[in-house]
Amino acid sequence: MSERVLEGLLDAVHRRAEGGDALWRREERTSLAFEAGRLKTAGVTEEAGMNLRVVQGGRVGVAGTTAADARPEDLLARALASAELGETLAVAFPGKVPLPHIATHVDHVANATLDDLTRMGRALVQQLSRDGCQVNISIEREVSETRVLNTAGAAASYQATAIAVTAGLVRFAGDDVLMVYDQSVGADLPNEADLNALVTSIQARLEFALRIATPPEGALPVIFTPGGLTAILLPLEMSLSGKAVVQGTSKLAGNVGEQIFDPRLSLTDDPLVPGRASSRPCDDEGVPSRTLPLIERGIVRGFVYDLETAARAGTASTGHGRRGVFGKPHIDYSNLVLGTRDGEAGGGRGGASAFAGGLLDGIADGLVVGDLIGVGQGNGIGGGFSHPVALAYRVQHGEITGRVKDAAVAGNVYGLLKRIGGLGNDGRWWGSRWAPSLLLEGVSVARR
Amino acid sequence: MRDRLREALEHSRADYTEIRVERTWSSAVSFRGRRLEAATASEDVGGFVRALNRGCGWGIASFTSLDQLPVMVTRAHQLSRAVRLEEPIRLANVAPQQAEVLLDLDGDVRGVPLSEKKRLLEAYNGAMLAVGGRVVDTQASYHDEVSEYWYVNSEGAAVHELRPEVVLSGTATARRDGTIEKGLESIGLRKGWRSVHDCAARFRAAAERAVALLDAPSVKGGTYPVILDPDLAGVFIHEAFGHLSEADFVYENPQAREMMTLGRRFGKPVLNVGDNGAAVGLRGTLPFDDEGTPTQDTPLIREGVLVGRLHSRETAARLGERPTGNARAISFRHPPIVRMTNTYIGNGRGTFQDLIRDIPLGVYACSAFGGQTLLENFSFTAAYGHMIRDGRVAELVKDVVLAGNLFETLDRIDRVAGDFRWNQMGGGCGKGGQFPLPVTEGAPHVRIEEALVGGDVAR
Repeated sequence: MSERVLEGLLDAVHRRAEGGDALWRREERTSLAFEAGRLKTAGVTEEAGMNLRVVQGGRVGVAGTTAADARPEDLLARALASAELGETLAVAFPGKVPLPHIATHVDHVANATLDDLTRMGRALVQQLSRDGCQVNISIEREVSETRVLNTAGAAASYQATAIAVTAGLVRFAGDDVLMVYDQSVGADLPNEADLNALVTSIQARLEFALRIATPPEGALPVIFTPGGLTAILLPLEMSLSGKAVVQGTSKLAGNVGEQIFDPRLSLTDDPLVPGRASSRPCDDEGVPSRTLPLIERGIVRGFVYDLETAARAGTASTGHGRRGVFGKPHIDYSNLVLGTRDGEAGGGRGGASAFAGGLLDGIADGLVVGDLIGVGQGNGIGGGFSHPVALAYRVQHGEITGRVKDAAVAGNVYGLLKRIGGLGNDGRWWGSRWAPSLLLEGVSVARR
Repeated sequence: MRDRLREALEHSRADYTEIRVERTWSSAVSFRGRRLEAATASEDVGGFVRALNRGCGWGIASFTSLDQLPVMVTRAHQLSRAVRLEEPIRLANVAPQQAEVLLDLDGDVRGVPLSEKKRLLEAYNGAMLAVGGRVVDTQASYHDEVSEYWYVNSEGAAVHELRPEVVLSGTATARRDGTIEKGLESIGLRKGWRSVHDCAARFRAAAERAVALLDAPSVKGGTYPVILDPDLAGVFIHEAFGHLSEADFVYENPQAREMMTLGRRFGKPVLNVGDNGAAVGLRGTLPFDDEGTPTQDTPLIREGVLVGRLHSRETAARLGERPTGNARAISFRHPPIVRMTNTYIGNGRGTFQDLIRDIPLGVYACSAFGGQTLLENFSFTAAYGHMIRDGRVAELVKDVVLAGNLFETLDRIDRVAGDFRWNQMGGGCGKGGQFPLPVTEGAPHVRIEEALVGGDVAR
């Protein structure tokens, strides 16, 4: 299905429906997989598809296809059939407005050869290799093109590149299995400093993990590292979604303008960060991107919306509509930034810094959490969490004394975030999230 | 299509080539609260080529434009040639299968109007809402598909299948002040339209449970004798043990292989575990895997001892074992990797009552919100639980999170009841970026002598 079909499709929507929009996206991915230190698989993926939404009789319907032989009129007919059942909703499609300028496409990423990517992988294998450990690396490069059109006049089109390098070490010692991994994601190729930071981060975490320490117990100070923070931020992400507000399940819906958290807590969604794979000039519904404060110095400022959720809430979209080829657009964050991006060197991905962000000093007894098991399960929106640790270290008198295996952490983020013990100086990107380490006091730690 | 595939194979210059093509018609309906969120019909078409050359690695290509098939065959070959390997990849022998398998569509969902599917789901969603009062939110979804599937390889295999699937799920959220609880129902079948009627009572029960949990106390964290109901026991064996029995976990790693040495004792003689991709009528059932290998019943633990593992052709050749028909891909977008099908704990003896009779204080953990493992460590969140007091099922409790070490926990399974059942639910298994893969789990009630139960989630 070629991109030109999109214009024809929109013409047909103009004729047969009250309004609508369509997204066309083509992606080409190149991937390399190194297993146990050897390159074993090289692959390509080429995919194109179209997602169409129409409004007819005030009702909304959608349809999608990847079939190259699909006829536009069939797709439209399916969307109209979907609209017959759809809900009545006044979707405010954005008009023709200028989009912010954000560079999303880096030529030398698109032009990198298989050999270039292989060399990067082999260099990492070499740097990470150590006795008794298996090195696994995957490199994925994506080049994509996105077009969004609607009947209100919006016509956006952009190309993007992304590259993700994931590296991990697995170490078996009897029945003890240790996995340490890290990743570097961006719109541009990682430079030497980025790759060194990746290696150093994995090595440091492995080194501290070789000794096993007895877990502590009780209500203790716990440092959540940038990669270990997911369980803490997830309840906030859920409650800051406009969808939760509309459904009445958001814990923060009634708190706009109120000081709910520690003044050191700020959370921003920023689709305009240069060099990030999740940055884009507009969302998948053609709404221009803008930086959106969600929590400012502990005060709740706002929520993320897509077009349909905004229509239901009687507000405007914040430009957070994401859509695939199939199904309806839904709300999604772009780059979620905890705190400010101090120390981010020229769009880099965070360099080497002190373990746990320099927060160890002054901790008599506690934990550093690098990864938890089971995040995202259970009853997240209430703020409660309870997880065994996947990778965690004991801190005693300001020093790491070893890896803690059989321990679990629990608490409620709404209580814990009222008073933050400290933010680390190790802010970095972890996927599409920027965060430093976070020290929280009084986290319940149990051992088994 | 078959001629196009044969022609593409003939033009391949690789030593080994396989091609999959899929065309999937699907429809989906979802409700949130009383509101219909979406009712859509979609069509997904694409292909996958995998090539292997002597002294080289795998080259793979996936694509949505079938016109590109000949080009993609060439690219897969070139990519394979670009990956030089000292230790060659070998594939265990499998007799090339030729088969035309049109599974019973059990009421072809493609012939049912979207409006009827909406009506069905509306009724189930309505059953949850009708519980009333405290039920502040529901989510209900219906998904069906029929997939036409072709597989060919350069050894002569040629398979053509028509596969149905239908999945229904519901979540009820109950709230009182700051307390929020959920109840879940999920049904997944490799069947069609005729098989999903008369489920309203199950959805209503999920909503009633969410409301009941509002008043239930959190389980007091600690170590208890724990009974897993068949649903949770199935999830447990899939997550905590099944993934370790996938041979791609061990085949490149001598230390891992040692950990999973056949003959190692994993549990007491009451414990039997297997994976059966050929079981009749389940969601994880298919005649062949995505390398054209026939599926089978593979014993993994017999009377407590590790006796087998799950293989692709590559892992089987590497370990000198036989392929088991477990190389699966979720779609044409992905290569086949070693996966489970229908994984089970074999039936034991006696009743649930026999298992709890001599427990003064324990936990009965039921159904699963989710489970995750990190190799030998696991964590499961039960949907709900009951205390067991003096040999009887007592009060409802919530926040039942089971965590532990796989080896210790398997070894502490001391009783297995004789009430085996398959848990035919939706969702699926995730691995290597491939989610959701249709699988089924089955088990009877299972007793763990002693397990750590986390509760006390601060609220």
